[in-house]
Amino acid sequence: MADIVSVLALAHAPGATGWLDKAPRHEQDGIINGYAEMQKRLAATNPDVIVGIANDHLLNFHPANVPDWCVGTSDHWEGPAEWFRDWVNVPHYEVAGNAGLGRTIVRESGKRGFNLAFSDKLLFDDNWSVPLHFLTPRHDVPLVPIHMNCVLPPMPSTQRCYEFGQVLADVVRAWPEKKRVAIMATGGLSHDPGGPKYFGVDEPFDRGFLSLLNEGDPQKVLREITTGKMIAAGDGGTIELLAWFVALGAVGKRKADTAFYVPSVPLRCGMGGVTWDMQSKE
Amino acid sequence: MGIMDTDRTLPTNTLIFEVRRDRKLVERFANDLEGLMTQYGLSDVEKKALREIDLKTLAGLGLHPYFLPQVSRLFKGTGYNHNESAAARLYASKMLAPGKT
Repeated sequence: MADIVSVLALAHAPGATGWLDKAPRHEQDGIINGYAEMQKRLAATNPDVIVGIANDHLLNFHPANVPDWCVGTSDHWEGPAEWFRDWVNVPHYEVAGNAGLGRTIVRESGKRGFNLAFSDKLLFDDNWSVPLHFLTPRHDVPLVPIHMNCVLPPMPSTQRCYEFGQVLADVVRAWPEKKRVAIMATGGLSHDPGGPKYFGVDEPFDRGFLSLLNEGDPQKVLREITTGKMIAAGDGGTIELLAWFVALGAVGKRKADTAFYVPSVPLRCGMGGVTWDMQSKE
Repeated sequence: MGIMDTDRTLPTNTLIFEVRRDRKLVERFANDLEGLMTQYGLSDVEKKALREIDLKTLAGLGLHPYFLPQVSRLFKGTGYNHNESAAARLYASKMLAPGKT
């Protein structure tokens, strides 16, 4: 049986690798040190594999056929996708997958009411390229990527995301491999790619959201952070926090520990990340 | 206008979706935009808006918000996309009121 040794959630905005020098020094330091802290916390749990959940960004989900989630079922991944390479400014990388775990997630989640798509061909953009660049820079921890629809209505509800996280945690723990698994949600915090708040962030929303996660009361998060509130705080960017609701389902009543938060207008994103101590009691 | 106003069936959404996934289509976007727009079945209104980089009209037609700055990057380049970059300035000039950054 597998153990979930780490759950984390963090921003993946491309400015962190693409144009960080345009941010003031204190923002640069806060972001670099913040990701370094996340790397340290993840490494301390010594994961054998990372199960990631992140916005697909309309890169793999054709507008005519949009699943809520699509699980990557390949033993090999690479990124960034060609057109996004200069934008993300991350060199080409390869990272192992875990087809067995990916297929298990699809098969077993289906028995629990989650009809997941799957694919052994997924293009990566900033969703994985930025977090992996900072958290596993040698790309030496296999990744099972789960792409999700955060931005093309109808998206899965916050409740549905939370319930998927619960199922995902159960399925991972029941995987008959003695492996240490990390669950990593990427996306957010407030930003608005292509929308009216494109050149801004919503710091009060971000700080309120992180504060709620620190309380360890997922039902309160579900009550207070609605899809409408996320859209109001940044439309198609902030709503990526739906991936964090999946992580929330996996941790239950554990309290999040904020590693960093930097509201960065030059990066056009509220940059931040949290971890949950899976050794702590719910 | 935002993600809730997206028209998934808008041919321009399919065109931009597929261009970003295929280097050859990126080249055609640069060298044969008219042929590409016809191939994807864009209406005359869509064609005029994309030809003129009229992002507001494209947004009003239901182009996904993500694709608006991506259209600006297809015309102005993808790298070093900071707030003063040519692509970001193009987006701002088309979408924001004068004086807004």
